[in-house]
Amino acid sequence: MILYDYVLSASCYKVRLMAALLGVRLDHVAVDFHPGREHRGLAFRALNPAGTIPVLVDGDLVLTESTAMLVYLAHGTAWMGGDTAVAQAQVQGWLAFAARLGASLGMARLHDMLLYAADIAAVRRDGVACLRQMEAHLVERRFAGAIWLVGDGPSIADIACFPSVMLAPDGGVSLDDYPSVRLWTRAVRSLAGFIEMPGIHRLHELKPAPEAV
Amino acid sequence: MISQAVLGEWYPVAMAALVDAAGRRTLLLGQEIRVFRDAGRIRVTADAGDLAVTERFGHVWACPGTPARALFTIPEADHPGRRLVDCGVVRVKCSPLRAVENFLDIAHFPFVHTDILGAEPHTEVNRYDVKIREEVDEVWATKVHFYQPQAAKSAEGGIVTEYMYRVPAPTASVLYKTCPAMPGEWDVIAIFVQPLTEELCDVWPWMALYDDVTPQAELIAFQQMIFLQDRSILENQIPRLLPLDPGMESPTQADLTSVAYRRWLKRRGLTYGAQMVAA
Amino acid sequence: MTRAWVANGLSRDLPAGVVMHGAWHGQDLAIWRSASGQIAAWKDRCQHRGMRLSHGFVRGETLSCIYHGWVYGTSGACGRIPAHPGLVPPSAIRAEAFACCEKDGVIWVAPAGTEGDVPDLAGLHPVRSLTVEAAGIEAPGLTGMEILQGSVMIAGQTVALGLVLQSLAAGRTAVHALCGGGGDVVAVSRWLEDLRRRLERGVAA
Repeated sequence: MILYDYVLSASCYKVRLMAALLGVRLDHVAVDFHPGREHRGLAFRALNPAGTIPVLVDGDLVLTESTAMLVYLAHGTAWMGGDTAVAQAQVQGWLAFAARLGASLGMARLHDMLLYAADIAAVRRDGVACLRQMEAHLVERRFAGAIWLVGDGPSIADIACFPSVMLAPDGGVSLDDYPSVRLWTRAVRSLAGFIEMPGIHRLHELKPAPEAV
Repeated sequence: MISQAVLGEWYPVAMAALVDAAGRRTLLLGQEIRVFRDAGRIRVTADAGDLAVTERFGHVWACPGTPARALFTIPEADHPGRRLVDCGVVRVKCSPLRAVENFLDIAHFPFVHTDILGAEPHTEVNRYDVKIREEVDEVWATKVHFYQPQAAKSAEGGIVTEYMYRVPAPTASVLYKTCPAMPGEWDVIAIFVQPLTEELCDVWPWMALYDDVTPQAELIAFQQMIFLQDRSILENQIPRLLPLDPGMESPTQADLTSVAYRRWLKRRGLTYGAQMVAA
Repeated sequence: MTRAWVANGLSRDLPAGVVMHGAWHGQDLAIWRSASGQIAAWKDRCQHRGMRLSHGFVRGETLSCIYHGWVYGTSGACGRIPAHPGLVPPSAIRAEAFACCEKDGVIWVAPAGTEGDVPDLAGLHPVRSLTVEAAGIEAPGLTGMEILQGSVMIAGQTVALGLVLQSLAAGRTAVHALCGGGGDVVAVSRWLEDLRRRLERGVAA
């Protein structure tokens, strides 16, 4: 499988992270998204007419939506979130919610970091509304003794939402006001096989303090 | 009031290849400027008229006052066989001087660039040489050695990498590091920092490498990965301004480059983005 | 007069091995809990390069700065500088500690040496914290008092409620909510969401 990838993209990272957690090996093709805007060029449009990243290619299959890639990678595993009607519907809800996160927190980040044009006050406000909605949900999950967005274990719902949430401070939106979201991001970062991306630090405490060398 | 010393320096304001007729509206030292192409020539204008402009190292440099000296040189930019890589711009909510100081620091590698530029338990920083080279008025650190798990995109496995750091201008720094592909040569990695305000900057990384193999997009991705790992640090240092009051922060022997950089800034009155006394 | 003890969240939101951001009257703090459960609140600044300690990490009984890994013990003293493993850090290198305690599931901070007890909320259990963006807390119903206690009808049940207010900035207030035993915490949480919407709409109108 080939992932057309950009190191600073939250959506590309979703796919890298899912693959890492599943132990699936991806071949990476770096796309010069910034400053080269290669994703808007003719060659890339021939692969993905929408001119967006990531793109996942497996044989004849070409996927251009990151949430679809999560489904493809996780199919047949517990990462799908369970096979009841309720669980599948809830997972779909969060996959759609992830698009809202990208359009709000993700756009604020592109504005603050890579100088994209945006109504920054509006996208931050939308981002805060998303974080509040997640926090309210996760508060209730914790009352029920759970930590993940859906069900008893981590699922593609968590992976779809995690990058934009964790990178919110890059766009000037603090996570200080959301204690349950914070604990949930720690749970994601504690997963075996977790990988980081720029702007998301690993939990150094997962490794014991080293002896001096 | 911005000092003549600050106004007389050169600052990066754009990647030359990206400047078109429509141009880029931006800030320099808090002042609105426009960078645009006019009949093939790049101009930088402010309310008061045209700024002195020079094009070098893939970037457009402007001087808001009377240039105190010519733009510094990077001889390696003209070496045949080197690939020159413009890495684009990243905005950071920090003092431009803090961005440079972070670039001069190696002790953070194991914690911020974990498993790439450094890794526990290899955290020790041995003594290295630092001096202000009076003849060129630049800060230089040499004989800097540090363990790196992955020294560059083309490096496999851990090695001890040697670095030299150079500060030729208040908001620019050039790093020379052991080149895995060409023993005996140095890879050159620079950051050019545009001071938008005292607490906001645009950072333009740039490289001159011996590497004919790695695709351009991968080279850029590697450099952006490293710099973006620093961004969340830079945006969370208190105060935002770089403190020049020695009582404010506690440097150690590992910080001798930054100590010399701060001293050099103070001596030359290059205090835009700095805090002289504790607030 | 500024109040000495300021509520800074709920104990349930700060498990062992975690550090979070806090504040005392505009002073940023790092509040953390060691592996053994000991809680501490410090000025949110590593003395080395000014990095926020609330971005750091907890290993055992120590908090490390994320920037250069300087290691601070629960007393606030810096015990290790990774760049110089052989060096015993000078005693002057230490985090500036605030007083920090927990009572009835609420975390309180005050300047070091503060005398006097934190407010009593006996009989109430922590529910959740949420931030209200309203100029606001002067809005009807929340009148600038630091703790509001009373009974409220929520989902057909009378619930004893305690709302501990923490002023974060002009127009921004954290509400740390507790309720009486037997209260339906999900219903209380939803009631708080509704209260916030009302308060914030009141400002917008």
